[in-house]
Amino acid sequence: MALTCLEVQELENIFALLLLGSFVGLPAPPTFLSVELLPFMERELRVLHQRAEDAHDMLAEMMGSLGVD
Amino acid sequence: MKILFFTGKGGVGKSTLAAAAAWQLSRKRRVLIVSLDPAHNLGDIFGVAIKGRRRRFTPSLHLDEVDLRKMARAYLERETQTLSDTYKYLATLNLDSYFSVLKYSPGIEEYALLTSIERTIREEAGFDYVIFDTPPTGLTLRFLALPQVTITWIDRLTAIRRQILEKRYTIQKIRRPLKEGETAREVLLSYREDDDDIMARLKALHDNYRRLTAVLQGGDCGVVLVFNPDLLSRRESERLIEGLNDLRLPLRLLIQNKVTAANREIAVAVGDSLQAAAGGAVPLQYVALDPGIAANNGSLYEIPEDLEANLGF
Repeated sequence: MALTCLEVQELENIFALLLLGSFVGLPAPPTFLSVELLPFMERELRVLHQRAEDAHDMLAEMMGSLGVD
Repeated sequence: MKILFFTGKGGVGKSTLAAAAAWQLSRKRRVLIVSLDPAHNLGDIFGVAIKGRRRRFTPSLHLDEVDLRKMARAYLERETQTLSDTYKYLATLNLDSYFSVLKYSPGIEEYALLTSIERTIREEAGFDYVIFDTPPTGLTLRFLALPQVTITWIDRLTAIRRQILEKRYTIQKIRRPLKEGETAREVLLSYREDDDDIMARLKALHDNYRRLTAVLQGGDCGVVLVFNPDLLSRRESERLIEGLNDLRLPLRLLIQNKVTAANREIAVAVGDSLQAAAGGAVPLQYVALDPGIAANNGSLYEIPEDLEANLGF
């Protein structure tokens, strides 16, 4: 269950990264596609941000996904 | 309704020939000619001021110039509107200034171009012919490729989105249903494809581009390639033919412009090689250099070549 949640978040992160990659320097889809979908991307942006923030602490991340408190 | 794109290297005379073809066709049919080139000269050719508004030149010939910058701005304004409608509480922030920077981002202009083509095709059903005078080769190929590139992207994104929704559905299933009067501890996310705004938007975009690709590749649409009897023009035309082949856009007519008695020999060689590159079945037409038009005292209404004959397809 926790793993599935994590998987969804990871997928959402990838989705946001693919779509909004041009904002962080990735070669992205046609810009207008990003602009077109931007209005609905609130959650994805939040996940993206959260992932970036947690990225430096891999151990905590792993423990979290294993459910170790 | 037939749709024609006049393409070619800069300076080969595609605007002039598009105008001449439009004029000839308009003697029997209703014709709309649209200039997509950021450096407009349709107005100069017909000797009228168009200034971003549709103009009735004769009852059967209408002229239009598309202002790309204005279209890009209008598009971004519309998007900003959607954005602030979605996040009403953010309306106090100055979102416009944030978006104004997108105006300079690559892709927006091509998109504006494509949107205007799409809208013209959709709205102008009253005309027998719509002729587009396109910008130089590079930009033209890029925007003609745009629908197909975009569809590829949309397909990928849709696949990922679908996976996300499936996973969300699984989570929803595992969690026990809420009891009477109990409120969920977390925000419920949409997991059905019809409920998801992003999915709906992706789907709408996909349908839109499918339709446009079908029209562009269809039997009523065609590309006219204009070139001159010289090496550079020949090379660029070869690349354009190749590009059109990749995109499966139908090439209908080759026009060799500015042919004189002196360059006739080169003209025949260039013409034959391009015709071979195009597959042999595409008609080729020679148009003589008219010093009068170049000096702006000749008349494009009287060019002797019959451009109409090959545009019936």
